[in-house]
Amino acid sequence: MRVPEALRGLHTSSAVEVKLPSGDKALLVTRYRDVRSLFADHRLSRNIARPDAARISADNDLFTNPNIDPDPPKHTQVRSLVTRAFTARRIEGLRPVAQEITDELLDAMAAGPQPSELNEAFAFPLPIRVICKLLGIPPEDRSHFRVSVDGFLSVSKLPPDEVAKARGDLFRYLAELIEAKRRDPGDDLVSALIKVRDEDDHRLNDHELHFWVTGLLIAGYVTTASQIGTGTAVLLHHPELVKEIRADWSLVPSAVEELLRTQIMGSSVGTLRYAIEDIPLSDGLVIAKGTSVLLSEEAANMDPEVFDRPFEIDIRRTENHHMTFGAGLHYCVGAALARMELQVATETLLRRFPNLRLAVPGDQLPRALGGFMEGFTEVPVEW
Amino acid sequence: MRVAANRETCVVSSLCVYRAPTVFAQDDMGQVLVVDEQPDVELHEVVRRAARGCPTKSIKVTEADGSTVASAFDFD
Repeated sequence: MRVPEALRGLHTSSAVEVKLPSGDKALLVTRYRDVRSLFADHRLSRNIARPDAARISADNDLFTNPNIDPDPPKHTQVRSLVTRAFTARRIEGLRPVAQEITDELLDAMAAGPQPSELNEAFAFPLPIRVICKLLGIPPEDRSHFRVSVDGFLSVSKLPPDEVAKARGDLFRYLAELIEAKRRDPGDDLVSALIKVRDEDDHRLNDHELHFWVTGLLIAGYVTTASQIGTGTAVLLHHPELVKEIRADWSLVPSAVEELLRTQIMGSSVGTLRYAIEDIPLSDGLVIAKGTSVLLSEEAANMDPEVFDRPFEIDIRRTENHHMTFGAGLHYCVGAALARMELQVATETLLRRFPNLRLAVPGDQLPRALGGFMEGFTEVPVEW
Repeated sequence: MRVAANRETCVVSSLCVYRAPTVFAQDDMGQVLVVDEQPDVELHEVVRRAARGCPTKSIKVTEADGSTVASAFDFD
């Protein structure tokens, strides 16, 4: 429940060597100033499909795809085809959809037995329904995903054969979905990307189409789901914060930001990059060409040079430019969607259940281990 | 105060549009548009915050005295 003590004092050096779950070594960059500028630095390549790059996991080639060029200028062109679906106007168009799904799920939760497990009842179903709506995935296919996404994101939790099966299942499902949408297009993002692919051969190839659909599904689902469950657990563990929000609902957006700053769901292994040149850091240390590098969003978010009382949860912070969604040209495409869902989820939960509380002590909630996501696996609540 | 934005580097975070919707907007692709280049004084602080928070430092704010706010955490 607390911010890990290991993050304290990390900033005395601009980088530390770490061992990844695969056993390979990488350099972890710790300071906000370096993390923020390196996210935008072209000397750090996101392409880790290289023979001498560190691997995240020995059992899962997560984020490594030799068919995709994740660096500019190619990446930037493809990305702009996707970001047009995530403008503020489009996200606000989805807000009533998220609200309706939230109301429906919380009605069902209220009618069920207590305690209820919040991840199962609400935190996971909400974002999967929203992202499936955006992508045009039929409701009956949704139940598929929990298992295959879990396998897809396993770092050390599942054996290699189960990871391979999960990845294969997801790959086949999405390939079939793309074919179905090609035959019968709808008013959805997958159909829009197929249209770009089929009408202009140079802008998006089949690999990229598949890669982006997978990425949007995974990133749009389990990150927000984990953040809803875990962020709510953190709030309920601090009743004084809940009281403050209930006294002033306009605090919801800044509370959501502060929970994003302090409770990062996706592990920093997702930021793995490769130095194509020597890069000096703020204290003179030099990242040598050929080094694999992690940009620690968690450590940057706790940097006392930027955040006053960094280890304190302060839901009234106004200058909260955290690194949870990254920075620079790889800034999370779905950040505005995630923010909107988190705001709707947090406010509606607290309004709908005036006596909402954790059914077990907060410090006994189990954390997910061995996966890319690090939220609480179960959040039992009563009201 | 004068506000300008670099559409080439904008990555459609939408943060500025949410912070100051009367100053910033987006085109159909999501790329930033400045719709009020000289915002009223009561908007200045929120516009500065938008400049500081832009993940690609694509917003340039020039104050009346000629100083600029590119990013509060512009360490370079």
